[in-house]
Amino acid sequence: MKIETTDKKKTFKPGVKVKDSWQYRVFKVINVIIMLIICAATLYPFLYLVAQSFSSEAAIIKGQVSIFPVDFNLTTYRSVLMKGDFLNYYKNTILYAVIGTFFSVFFSALLAYPLSKSTLRLNKFFTPFIIFTMYFGGGMIPNYILMTSLGLRNTTLSFILPGLIGTYYVLLMKSFFQSLPHELEEAGEIDGLSKYGVFFRIVLPISKPIIATMVLFYMAGYWSNWFNAFLYLEDRSKWPVAYYLRQIIIGASTSADPGAVSAESMQVAANIKSCSMVLMAVPIICVYPFIQKYFVQGMMLGGVKG
Amino acid sequence: MKKKLLSSLLAVTMVVSLTACGGDKGTEKTSEPAPSPEAIVSSEEEVVEQLDYEYGEHFHSETPVTYSMSFSDASWYPMTDQWKSEGVFAKITELTNVTLDLTSIDSNDYNDKIALSINAGDAPYIIPKTYDESMFVDGGAIVPVSKWTEFMPNFTNFVETYDMQADLDTITRNDGNFYRLPGMLEKPLQDYTFIIRKDLFDAAGVDVAAIEKDWTYDDLYDALVKVKAYMVSEGMCSESDYIWSDLWCGQESGQGSGGNLLKLMGFSYGVGSGWAVNDCIQFDQEKNEWYLSSTTENYKQFVTMANKFVEGGILDPETFTQDDSTATNKFFRGETAIMSVNRGQIATFESGLQEGLGAGNYETYLCVTPTGTNNYMAENTRLENGVMISKKAYDELGEEEFIKMLRFVDWLFYSDEAYDLIKWGIEGETYNVVDGQKVLADGWFCGGLGYGDPTPEDETDNKDMRLEYGYAGGNFWYGHRVDQMTDNFTPELQDYNERVAEYRTLRALNPALASTADENEQINLWKTPLVDNINTWTLNFVTGKKDIEAEWDTYVQSCVDANADNLVNLYNEINAR
Repeated sequence: MKIETTDKKKTFKPGVKVKDSWQYRVFKVINVIIMLIICAATLYPFLYLVAQSFSSEAAIIKGQVSIFPVDFNLTTYRSVLMKGDFLNYYKNTILYAVIGTFFSVFFSALLAYPLSKSTLRLNKFFTPFIIFTMYFGGGMIPNYILMTSLGLRNTTLSFILPGLIGTYYVLLMKSFFQSLPHELEEAGEIDGLSKYGVFFRIVLPISKPIIATMVLFYMAGYWSNWFNAFLYLEDRSKWPVAYYLRQIIIGASTSADPGAVSAESMQVAANIKSCSMVLMAVPIICVYPFIQKYFVQGMMLGGVKG
Repeated sequence: MKKKLLSSLLAVTMVVSLTACGGDKGTEKTSEPAPSPEAIVSSEEEVVEQLDYEYGEHFHSETPVTYSMSFSDASWYPMTDQWKSEGVFAKITELTNVTLDLTSIDSNDYNDKIALSINAGDAPYIIPKTYDESMFVDGGAIVPVSKWTEFMPNFTNFVETYDMQADLDTITRNDGNFYRLPGMLEKPLQDYTFIIRKDLFDAAGVDVAAIEKDWTYDDLYDALVKVKAYMVSEGMCSESDYIWSDLWCGQESGQGSGGNLLKLMGFSYGVGSGWAVNDCIQFDQEKNEWYLSSTTENYKQFVTMANKFVEGGILDPETFTQDDSTATNKFFRGETAIMSVNRGQIATFESGLQEGLGAGNYETYLCVTPTGTNNYMAENTRLENGVMISKKAYDELGEEEFIKMLRFVDWLFYSDEAYDLIKWGIEGETYNVVDGQKVLADGWFCGGLGYGDPTPEDETDNKDMRLEYGYAGGNFWYGHRVDQMTDNFTPELQDYNERVAEYRTLRALNPALASTADENEQINLWKTPLVDNINTWTLNFVTGKKDIEAEWDTYVQSCVDANADNLVNLYNEINAR
């Protein structure tokens, strides 16, 4: 009892260091150990992948590679980047990610802003109507027929258009816009700005946190998306790198498909696979630490009701 | 009130949308119904007159025509524009005046994309490389091709010459038609077998070539015991190590059934297991009835034998759970002495061994699989994947042009002329015939035919004709005569095939099961849990988790509880009909 009272008193004195109880110290040690184990478990596959990508095929076959490369060489990277179409797939991915993200964020904001206004006529119809699409979609085959009928298969648009606006992201943005002080917009209107002026010159500039979050969400989505390529892109020259990666991994695992004719088998060397995976993951891994706070912030911002 | 209004509005929107989905075609169909296959065929005699094309062994259209076709595009030899401008497709056009409008689909996604395009009504006219057409039959999107084979002289000639009707019956559905033009083999090829480290077997005093003619799995076990003793004595492994760790048996490629190994072993005992577990119900030719092979005495002998390898420290029980690469890497490192192989993997395994052990430090041998209670090879089917024809082709081309297209299909997939073109290219250009044998012309090699680059250090002197022109691709050259199928085999592979043909015999085919759609559904309802039960027990028996003698009766009862008897009775009812 006495100790508790002392602790409480200490807690309320700013600047005074609190002495942790031994139970708490034990807890912290165990906590750190568990965290280290989780970190190691998470990090190990990636380190293994990186080590494989820099190792020789012979060393991988001999099982000598763990987290450090064996027979370190850059030949695999040189081969992947110089030969074949990897760079072209990479270029496509960057193109889809940049163009797709720009238009996705733009149109999502354009849709979310009016929905955030209670004064919008039929708002109570439009919002549920949009939410409805989160639960009920047309389905894969109708979408495929639609894209085919529009003549969009094998075009850049077929990769971007189907997922241009994410309903969930629109709702996040709508919540964020609702939380903005409406006095700012009123001030803009008093100074002569039109509705569009208010949106582009006041609302968007003060919405950087949610826009940054949306950029990250959409870009990560486009970067790793392969399904649209599977559905709509038969032309190899238009493939994104994620789809190419899927093909070489699936190709290796189905080489013994009992239904497949044996002469049709393929084995992609383990170091080439690892190298391709590392090259695909690196940009997102590099960007993530700098903008990860927006992931959490964005969700929090969107969750606050105005 | 507003909610009601909204609900009503959404409901109305949905109804209107559904109505709109019907489209105008419904009206068209009512006014001009698509003829039934019977009606289509009734007028065929009138059509054969006044053709603007020649047919038979050769096909050539007087007027240029274009047919759409799907193409399974393999990423390790992707189709290029050069194939169309001067390669295989240009030659097809040159010879036949037919241009193929190709929809190229990556081979990994081929089946899924074909299903998608057929369901979306957007399928190409010609759909090659189909392994299973059953899912499209009831939808009416593909043509019952058996009604049209009389227009296909090369196809019918092969069927008659090699007596293929019994084989075709196995893909015939209960309406009396088959919906896939299959690749046909004069004789089945036993593709999957075991590759052994001959140097280790020789050193252990086991001459496989001398005993394989009638060796049993017990003989193989004894041989592997000797090999292991030798490897232990040489410090290549310890007593606790396994020297057989197989691929194509793990959870992924083995599909939880024991995969290739249990299939190969199973048929030596007359039972369907592993990859062939769906054939667990076999036909007794003498009694003229179906029976469940998985609860027979033969099955017990089979799992006892498989378990003997595990219990004896020879076969790694992880074989049935591990990734394929784990198994191959152990073999490449020299830790194991035997592994499954198929002809497509021989070159890959060879280069893996070279990486792992170094050239000259090993010797391999393709052995004929041992016998069990019979002398059968595992394969007995003479059908390969085949070609579906989209109903859209008939609808859009009309009867006359449709028949003309079938003549072209017949030429492309069943004629000797097309076979040689697609497999070997142009005589005098990409290949020559020397002493009756086809050999690639100077300047060419071909991974697809097993011809490696003779000078790999110089990448400019020789070209791969498959990469350059698309010959020897996987979409066409399935089936045909033995001399055609094996004309590119390495001497090692030819030797293996000759030994198999000499040492082993062929199982009789099971008769076709002409079941109705309802019966199919019932069979699936009973068979799926039964097969799961058999797989679980089989793997437990083989790996020693369950005692075969002690728990055999429990296992048999579990199969009975899983409707095994009902299923067999249903098979026999259908058979008797």
